[in-house]
Amino acid sequence: MNKLAKVFVIAEHMGAMQELVSGAAQLGESTALVWAGDKGQAVGADTVYYLGELNNDRILEHYAPSIINLVKTEQPNLVLVESSRKGRLMAGTLAAALGTSVLADATEIIIDNGVVTKRMVYGGAALSSERSSAPTTVATVSPGVFETAAAGKAANLVEVPFVAPATSVKCRERKTKAGESVNLRAAKRIVAVGRGFTAPEELKLAEQLAAAIGAEVGCTRPIAEEEKWMDKARYIGVSGVMAKPELYIGIGISGQVQHMVGVSSARTIVAINSDKNALIFKQCDYGIVGDLKNVLPALLAQLGK
Amino acid sequence: MKIVACVKAVPEEQDIAIKSDKTLDLSKAELKVGQYDLNAVEAAVQLQEATGSEEPILVTVGSTKGLKNSKLQKAMLSRGAGALFGVADDSLDSIDAFATAKNLAAAISKIGGVELVICGEGSGDIYSQQVGPILGQLLGFANLNAVSRITLMGDKLEVERTLENEIEVLEVTLPAVLSVTTDINKARIPGLKEILAAGKKPTTLWGAADLEMTKEGNIEVISTLAPPETQRQQMVFEGDSEENIAQLLDNLRKVL
Ligand SMILES: Cc1cc2nc3c(=O)[nH]c(=O)nc-3n(C[C@H](O)[C@H](O)[C@H](O)COP(=O)(O)OP(=O)(O)OC[C@H]3O[C@@H](n4cnc5c(N)ncnc54)[C@H](O)[C@@H]3O)c2cc1C
Repeated sequence: MNKLAKVFVIAEHMGAMQELVSGAAQLGESTALVWAGDKGQAVGADTVYYLGELNNDRILEHYAPSIINLVKTEQPNLVLVESSRKGRLMAGTLAAALGTSVLADATEIIIDNGVVTKRMVYGGAALSSERSSAPTTVATVSPGVFETAAAGKAANLVEVPFVAPATSVKCRERKTKAGESVNLRAAKRIVAVGRGFTAPEELKLAEQLAAAIGAEVGCTRPIAEEEKWMDKARYIGVSGVMAKPELYIGIGISGQVQHMVGVSSARTIVAINSDKNALIFKQCDYGIVGDLKNVLPALLAQLGK
Repeated sequence: MKIVACVKAVPEEQDIAIKSDKTLDLSKAELKVGQYDLNAVEAAVQLQEATGSEEPILVTVGSTKGLKNSKLQKAMLSRGAGALFGVADDSLDSIDAFATAKNLAAAISKIGGVELVICGEGSGDIYSQQVGPILGQLLGFANLNAVSRITLMGDKLEVERTLENEIEVLEVTLPAVLSVTTDINKARIPGLKEILAAGKKPTTLWGAADLEMTKEGNIEVISTLAPPETQRQQMVFEGDSEENIAQLLDNLRKVL
């Protein structure tokens, strides 16, 4: 594959940083990591552009003008940005300053007469292939697109001069989110719950099934976002976690494309739903038409035998 | 405080069909207000109600044909906003996020005096979550996404952001562009009365003669195709009898 001359990475979390730095090396002759926070963590690229500390006085957003300045000076061909919330904001801010758009949520990136990415659109109903031929292309990259390279080398560290923002955003407080940390993307088996569950107590049935077969529990977007019965890190689909389990059991889930794309690569899909016309039955290997309040206890009882 | 909420007309996703060549057929899909924009409108209306200022203004960008649809206009205006401004041209149907944001910025500048712009998390169709971030930079406003709470504090806003692992509480000086999460509020469902009243609210569509319109972005869409389908066995048992459950379990055990 053709390589670009210069590829930059902007990331805020270690895992994404390592993936993107390794991606940058695949796509570019020279690589640089633009980093704020713990200096010691910034390795793997040819150059590290170090922005400064992260604390209440300086959150990543405060470095936007410094990053814009750096990118305009260094003119990389491509900037790969972590697809976290802050990464998305930085990508849009940077692209706007460069007079271009963002290749968003790339699930594949190749160099072919410019930068060509694939991404899901229409809630996962389609894959769109997009090309940017901007002098500097900005792309946000989905997790798992690049594999983390083995060992990071010590980089040439360059301190980036701080350019003060013209607008005023003051950080008063940063608190760690209560929720749990769960990595559904790595789960081999997933039991997922949907709106067919009508009370949080009923979730126990799904949890028991998951425990019995060694699965993680996932859910649909409304269970996390609207009902708030589960942490957002557990919702599967185009706007949540794109999982790749071997076995997926969907319970009380209608089977809308936005959710199902998140498990479409599963080897086996099992569905439990009281509506025999539910979409999920068209996309499953094994299914049972029945009320989850009957099916799950019966299934658990037989599993225990 | 003059508040704008940005909204996008998107095709009803349930009615998007896939043609035999894997391209999408949008012809049966009626336009509706993007699902995530409803939270932006609601956030704008709640702030207006809290401050007693004028009703928020909606701004949209899209094809003239789409935006002239009165059902769509009512769907937009029946949720508490006072007026709708659209940048309309048939070339604006599938422009990229940068071009969309440029047109929104042109409209917002033309409206004048706007202090707060609220965007949804992403559009209901393409969902690149970039229009808000790009717009904020183009306007030179304070610019934040993932906003899960907005409270007025004198002439400033207190804003909470829900990030992957942490919550940030920020003090924002206006003007600002805030992109809100879907859990910032529960969007109201308009009744018949609101829908009827929406028909009487002022709607202005601006064309290339009225403002500096950006008709093209710089991202080329090479193709948009349905992903390849995986063949599934579709062995479905009807009813939750002991036998059916036993059969399901037999199959399940093969893969455990
Ligand atoms: C742009 C966009 C992005 C989206 N992204 C995502 C995403 O990433 N992830 C996601 O999950 N969703 C996403 N959605 C939402 C998605 O379209 C669906 O609305 C959602 O997945 C539906 O969740 P559900 O299946 O839990 O609920 P429903 O569609 O309400 O289905 C509930 C199902 O439960 C069944 N049921 C009811 N009672 C019982 C019972 N007693 N026993 C058994 N079955 C029962 C019903 O028959 C029904 O099929 C997105 C939507 C849009 C527009």
